[in-house]
Amino acid sequence: MHYSEFKQKLGADPASQDPEFLRARNSSPEFVRAALESDRFEQALRRAARLPAPVDLLPQLKKISQANASRQGTWKYYAMAASLFLAIAAAGIGWRMRAVHFDSVEQYVAQHYFVDGPELLAQSEGRVADNVAQLLALFEAEISPDVRRMVGAIKICPTPDGNGVHFVLNTERGPITVIFMPRTPVTDGEMVAFDGMEAQLVALEHGSAAIIGKSGQKVSDFYTLVHDSITPSGASA
Amino acid sequence: MGMPVMDRAEARQARFNALTEAYGADLYRYAMWICGNDALAKDLVQETCLRAWKALDKLNDDAAAKSWLITILRREHARTFERKVPKFTDVDTIEVPEDVELEPDDRVEIELLRRNILKLPPKYREPLLLQVVMGYSCEEIAEQLLISKSAVMTQLFRAREQLRERLQKDGVTGNVHALF
Repeated sequence: MHYSEFKQKLGADPASQDPEFLRARNSSPEFVRAALESDRFEQALRRAARLPAPVDLLPQLKKISQANASRQGTWKYYAMAASLFLAIAAAGIGWRMRAVHFDSVEQYVAQHYFVDGPELLAQSEGRVADNVAQLLALFEAEISPDVRRMVGAIKICPTPDGNGVHFVLNTERGPITVIFMPRTPVTDGEMVAFDGMEAQLVALEHGSAAIIGKSGQKVSDFYTLVHDSITPSGASA
Repeated sequence: MGMPVMDRAEARQARFNALTEAYGADLYRYAMWICGNDALAKDLVQETCLRAWKALDKLNDDAAAKSWLITILRREHARTFERKVPKFTDVDTIEVPEDVELEPDDRVEIELLRRNILKLPPKYREPLLLQVVMGYSCEEIAEQLLISKSAVMTQLFRAREQLRERLQKDGVTGNVHALF
């Protein structure tokens, strides 16, 4: 193996177990020196790349399977809840609650909140998120500065149509969850109830949002706030 | 009395947990390097694992799990940033504990390497990280990135070459730089 070929291989695949390459490493002082220098660089490179994983990463990942397993029972609850909602609607209550279907926006809201909602609420306590504008900008949206200051925790999340943004507003009435769905159409103002929670769907100029709170938190009071504050990027300029 | 028999759901959960234990940390590291932001990296890994959980029954061979998970993660990353790629390259967000074994000069070199890895163009950074973080062979990288092995070799060589050049510019002048 020529020296130039050896250097190429050393720079591309220094841990190669190719017998010819391994023989070349010790074939002359020049090759040995190059191999030793490469070994030192690789050691530094590996140390540099070895970022510490968060201590809570694995417990969080394991929760995915636990949540999903326990969700089996939740679907039964949705079925019961759907019957109840229809009965309430029939009784003339003004809310337009729809039965929760497996592939509906309503069901997505309930399911997604079940998986991520409580954790993000916990993360938002006493905090102000500093990456709100950055994350919303990924979806060509922005939020008014006064509402941005209310955001305690925020994350990118899956929605029925691609990704969106899930965040918590710390309001005087306690934390309110908002899921921004940049590509999902909804029936504006529709109310959804699930598992002690209520949600209102909001059609935005750019996509839609779901406002989620505990039953009795009157999430509909936040309709205007959410509707007017989430706008397409540049709209407020 | 015989050993308790795991039911199907428990076995599935145990299989998933074994995969997350084996690859969770490396997935996070890889995600962190490709997006440069801790919160986004955690979300990417979480979404990857959620999708993996849902599709776990399609994974026939656990030996292929690492490649399968990385494929999911890369797709999720592409999907997340299909409209815009954010400029999260602030290495200060990467909290790295002090490595007591290292000499001060080595620490400086490693810090500079970290910054410069983030500055590498994605086409050089990704194969390098697949090799260094995920332990992929050149053949596996080629398969993952859908490019030829020779292209992978070239990109890996150039990635290291650029890192060395940037280290030299930053004033790190270990004898390793004489190699190129």
